[in-house]
Amino acid sequence: MKLSSSMAYSSADEMMFGTAKYPVETKRGLKIGGGHVIPEIVPHPRPGSEKTIKTLLREYERANGDALERCVIVGHPYLQVENEHVFQMTHNPKWGGEIAAQTARQMDDYKEKYGLISAYRATVADLRKPDMVGMRDSDYTREVLESFEECAKYADIISIESMGGKEIFDHAIIRNDVGGLLFGQAVLGGLDMEWMWTQIVEIAKKHGCIPGGDTNCAEANTAMFMAGGFISKDVPHTLAALSRAICVSRSLVAYECGATGPSKDCAYEDPIIKSITGIPIATEGKTSACAHSDLCGNVIGAVCDLWSNEAVEYHDMFGASTTAVFTEILGYDVAAMNSSIDLGYQKEFQACLINSDRYRGPHGFMLCPDNAWEIGKAVVDNNESLYVRGKAAAVKCGELMLGDPNLKLTNFEKESLEAYMKDLEALPDKEEDFIDLSLKKYGKVKGFKPASYGL
Amino acid sequence: MNYLTDTSNIFTRYDLNIEVAQQGARKVSGDEILQNVADFVINGDEDGIADVVKETLETKTPMEVINDGLISGMNEVSRLWDEGIYFLPQVILSSDAMNMGIAICEEKMGRSMDKKGKVVTHTAEGDIHDIGQVIVNALLNANGFEVVNLGADVPVDKVVEACRTHNPVMVTGTALMTTTMTAFPKIATQLKRLNLNIPFVCGGGAVSEEYVTGFDMGIWGKEANQAPGMAEDALGGDEWQAMRSKWNG
Repeated sequence: MKLSSSMAYSSADEMMFGTAKYPVETKRGLKIGGGHVIPEIVPHPRPGSEKTIKTLLREYERANGDALERCVIVGHPYLQVENEHVFQMTHNPKWGGEIAAQTARQMDDYKEKYGLISAYRATVADLRKPDMVGMRDSDYTREVLESFEECAKYADIISIESMGGKEIFDHAIIRNDVGGLLFGQAVLGGLDMEWMWTQIVEIAKKHGCIPGGDTNCAEANTAMFMAGGFISKDVPHTLAALSRAICVSRSLVAYECGATGPSKDCAYEDPIIKSITGIPIATEGKTSACAHSDLCGNVIGAVCDLWSNEAVEYHDMFGASTTAVFTEILGYDVAAMNSSIDLGYQKEFQACLINSDRYRGPHGFMLCPDNAWEIGKAVVDNNESLYVRGKAAAVKCGELMLGDPNLKLTNFEKESLEAYMKDLEALPDKEEDFIDLSLKKYGKVKGFKPASYGL
Repeated sequence: MNYLTDTSNIFTRYDLNIEVAQQGARKVSGDEILQNVADFVINGDEDGIADVVKETLETKTPMEVINDGLISGMNEVSRLWDEGIYFLPQVILSSDAMNMGIAICEEKMGRSMDKKGKVVTHTAEGDIHDIGQVIVNALLNANGFEVVNLGADVPVDKVVEACRTHNPVMVTGTALMTTTMTAFPKIATQLKRLNLNIPFVCGGGAVSEEYVTGFDMGIWGKEANQAPGMAEDALGGDEWQAMRSKWNG
């Protein structure tokens, strides 16, 4: 695998929502990154519906169907539906395949009857918990790969939220250990993704399906949600931002293995990924408050190509079912973005999105297009190894946070960040030295098996 | 692109307004040697604590080191966290240091120190999102409880069997997904059938108060940091009904 060595965009100024350097087109003609933003709705089944394939099929038939119907009711021209597998859908690979097939039939019907252009993304659940199974050889590993096979027959796009390095990350994030984040996220995560994504891309090719992308939900999002809002005391926001920068090293691997995007919505690292790869990206912000809270509700949409809601459990609201309601909200959000594009006001609209959250907190700041591009540039300029580029991303992110006086940090956040920068500086230059050091330091972390990563 | 410097009409940085002034830790011991042990805990110095504990054991008994150095230091860490001065990682690092010190003292004593009581913890079957449980384990441990850690993706029967075998003061369940939290009422039903009247604290991700208080024995845990307080209540003899009315609703 060749590590990325150049930027897709020569400056952040070229990056805009709705347009990607390398757009993709789905089976029913949905162009993602082709000039306009597309809403992506993610329904989640109610507890209890996962008991049998019959009840789950019925749940998704209604949840996905309500979303398609609402597009027709209010006139949204395009929609992508994503189903993130619940455990049972991947544990029983045929289940995920049957749900994909059912949704594909619904989408064909809506296209034929109304002309609605839609696409389906199947996101397989990564059942492999690193401290519990061999990542490359376990029943769960086989189920994950089989599930991709089943879903790729019917879905437009396949994706995953892979778990490599999670055992080290969990140990490190609650111990203020930025070196542990680098080892877990950049090195182990990247090695696992290379192993996994080589196979996913092959499966997608075999079935004429698009290999979408990955997300560091299991790690960088854990850090971001632990950092929380303005009253949480779990993890410093500055550490969460460094974790986000580090994860670029591993999330990029999917595209280096042949994935083409669209990336996953919960990959908040996506603006950085887009700056490097030019692939279309999915993002989520204010519209994902139904699933979780973040401090980048608008800015994260500044360069998106799909605009998502993360996940909403299917149940009734005053206005209709949740999936109908959130499809309407997402569709109107992108209608405003797309109007700005067609009016030629997109730069002004983008400036509003960015200024809303640029200084709300470290995450919103680092994900502004200018800073995202700078971090991306540090990654490609240091493409010697997964470790070296992850460390370069973290250092650049830290420099940006410390270098802009308008980004206010509490004393604790600032002191923490200065300490992380010293920790980063003290780490070895070479990946092999860093791995040797890490194997000694983390060898006793519960469940860590170097062989899971080919080490 | 223009970036606004006055954002007061866009958002309010409440974190800047409420930041607690940094304060030093209080002294916890009148004995200089034991205060030194406590300081290693307060500073979360896992690398250095082994040497200082071994040195202290030359002049103090293991129980003195544990009670007046290690645990006193950890109590001060809890206070600093409660007052918003410490963040979670500082608490975890202090807990690691305390545990290392206790292990050395136990080795010298030739037996384990008495714990307050057992708590069985697990993450629901089909769910591998266990960082909430990891934090609960660390906090319970730091507060003197023995944690029977069943890990993640734990079948219902295994949780019930652990409760039968260990007779804990409390059992906890963590789940991120709504489709895995359905294991919780199954566990509660089996515990009830076996007449194991153990408070069952459930929390994490999408686990709601409404759901957990919908079955007998269930008590909703909003945050991981509530776990030690809840365990203290259970240890003090509170049954699940009393705990539910205190912590929920």
